[in-house]
Amino acid sequence: MKEIYLPITVDHIARVEGKGGVEIVVGDDGVKEVRLNIIEGPRFFEAITVGKKLEEALAVYPRICSFCSAAHKLTAVEAAEKAVGFEPREEIQALREVLYIGDMIESHALHLYLLVLPDYLGYSSPLKMVEEYRKEINIALELKNLGGWMMDELGSRAIHQENAVLGGFGKLPGKGTLELMKKRLAEALPKAEYTFELFTKLEQYAEVEGPIIHMAVRPRNDVYGIYGDAISVSDGFEFPSEDYKKHMVERVVEHSFAKHSFYNGEKPFMTGAISRLTNHADKLYGRAKELYESHRELFRPTNPFTNNLAQALELVYFTERAMDLIDEALARWPVRPRDEVEVRDGFGVATTEAPRGILVYALGVKDGRVSHADIITPTAFNLAMMEEHVRMMAEKHYNDEPERLKLLAEMVVRAYDPCISCSVHVARL
Amino acid sequence: MEKEKVRIGFYALTSCYGCQLQFAMMDEILQLIPRAEIVCWYMIERDSYEDEPVDIAFIEGSVSTEEEAELVKRIRENAKVVVAVGACATQGGVQSWEQEKSLEELWKAVYGDAKVKFQPKLAKPVDEYIKVDYRIYGCPPEKRDFLYALGTFLVGSWPEDIDYPVCVECRLKGNSCILIEKGEPCLGPLTRAGCDARCPGFGVACIGCRGAIDYDVAWFDSLARTFREKGLTKEEILQRMKIFNGHNPRLEEMVEKVFQGVEE
Repeated sequence: MKEIYLPITVDHIARVEGKGGVEIVVGDDGVKEVRLNIIEGPRFFEAITVGKKLEEALAVYPRICSFCSAAHKLTAVEAAEKAVGFEPREEIQALREVLYIGDMIESHALHLYLLVLPDYLGYSSPLKMVEEYRKEINIALELKNLGGWMMDELGSRAIHQENAVLGGFGKLPGKGTLELMKKRLAEALPKAEYTFELFTKLEQYAEVEGPIIHMAVRPRNDVYGIYGDAISVSDGFEFPSEDYKKHMVERVVEHSFAKHSFYNGEKPFMTGAISRLTNHADKLYGRAKELYESHRELFRPTNPFTNNLAQALELVYFTERAMDLIDEALARWPVRPRDEVEVRDGFGVATTEAPRGILVYALGVKDGRVSHADIITPTAFNLAMMEEHVRMMAEKHYNDEPERLKLLAEMVVRAYDPCISCSVHVARL
Repeated sequence: MEKEKVRIGFYALTSCYGCQLQFAMMDEILQLIPRAEIVCWYMIERDSYEDEPVDIAFIEGSVSTEEEAELVKRIRENAKVVVAVGACATQGGVQSWEQEKSLEELWKAVYGDAKVKFQPKLAKPVDEYIKVDYRIYGCPPEKRDFLYALGTFLVGSWPEDIDYPVCVECRLKGNSCILIEKGEPCLGPLTRAGCDARCPGFGVACIGCRGAIDYDVAWFDSLARTFREKGLTKEEILQRMKIFNGHNPRLEEMVEKVFQGVEE
């Protein structure tokens, strides 16, 4: 008997960064196939930077992704510094983290309000929400402007920061600017809390409920944060960052320019805000810790939609955290922006928590040039798991109106906050 | 009578999405909304249509797949004005930095023997495929680049190109010269202005993200002398210029001219 297939496709998932589509093939007896097609062209970042001057390559890496260019820049710089055997001073480290948090605040605010919220409120675009949801749009703009301004002041601009260089910064803002930054962060805190309250009310679709392996960078000094040198897995295993290739194994799949990754070569896994909370919530402090504890039952590590709520909690956390880091730097004021770095030969691996999850940079340096480059982005790590969750959603809803199924499939993808363009240039050694 | 709305499309080829992000991040967009109809803008609008007629088409990204080469042709047919936005669309972007290796070599280095069902191409700027009416430069472009172009179009006029290098803005800001004082390979003298010398203002040498200036107004003679005095070679400057100018046919000639008569 001839089978009839009904393909349901979203050619271009809207309101994400980059170009990707979902293809769901439905037969008479259910879902036949689910594919997340990543159709963004390849950019070969590793191949084009090998052999180039280290500092020029460091200017190019952030261009992998605009939504997390500061994350790329700072992770690349750390990998390069590790490779040449340089360790930045603590106050420089603190200010770099403030820059990184600027990216986190901007990216989370943008994702939650402009990309996620319209689905829940029944709009196709945030631009159409303006009249009825003026307050929410204003909060979104205020938070993203704050994050953008932090990146302007510390990174030179909100997209593709050049003011983070080997050894520190080209130039640092004045003490007054940092004090103003702290003041603006304090003013933003109630808005971050409002965001959290708003997202506690959104639905977490039970259709995609099931065990998920979470991976997150173990934060340095046991304080919830961005930088770390080991990866923790929700099954209790932990490994040093240098071993990432052993436990986060990549494979090329034919329907995508981006590779898929598997834990120990077998299981899909998730990374991102909910993974950070699942593995390291005990390292939170301040207002975010209180909110986490009072809403604990909402943080379901079995449901990818919880990632939205986890990002909202992180807005609160990182707003407070940035104020503390600014205090740390101010306590040592005046801070010398930059140290001389001797560019020796070597190899370094840096792992950080980008807004959407683990970002890995492995760089080799020889004679001042990049001799080896391997970059794996959170979206690339997440793709296999994301596809799995779209399948779960499709299996539950394949009889629904195609429009409804399409929206739900897109919502699953959006909950991961994927940067599709960044996932499309993964290296082979 | 209500004025007819301007139909706008924002299309992405292969890129980091930074130009669109910069555009989306402008609070001024909210003022534009009553006057414009967003026909296609996948990054923020789910009801987007790639094949509808528009007045202004903004294209971000470099053409890097067969599908994208087809897409730009359709956009051209549907648009009154085509604007190439950012370093990828105007110059091929950083993905065009490597000019020595073939597509096969690049593919092999990253994907090995694996194949996918799409057809990749070597990254190229949009005008290698279609006629482009106006270019907004930068990686990413400055917000004011968008405001200027859009504002000019909306009043029925045409924006002008910038014909002076970053150095002009850097001198006006009173920054100390990174090239002269630190000997770093600052590309300010050869790069199109418009960023208000953003990077040199932070003490970081210009990387040339707005592309090589189209006009012969760089200070060639004194520049050649300065590059030489600082020990920067023609090859070094050329390689650095290529980060954002992989497809610029004038590049070699321009750098050659800078170093004319300079013995290394």
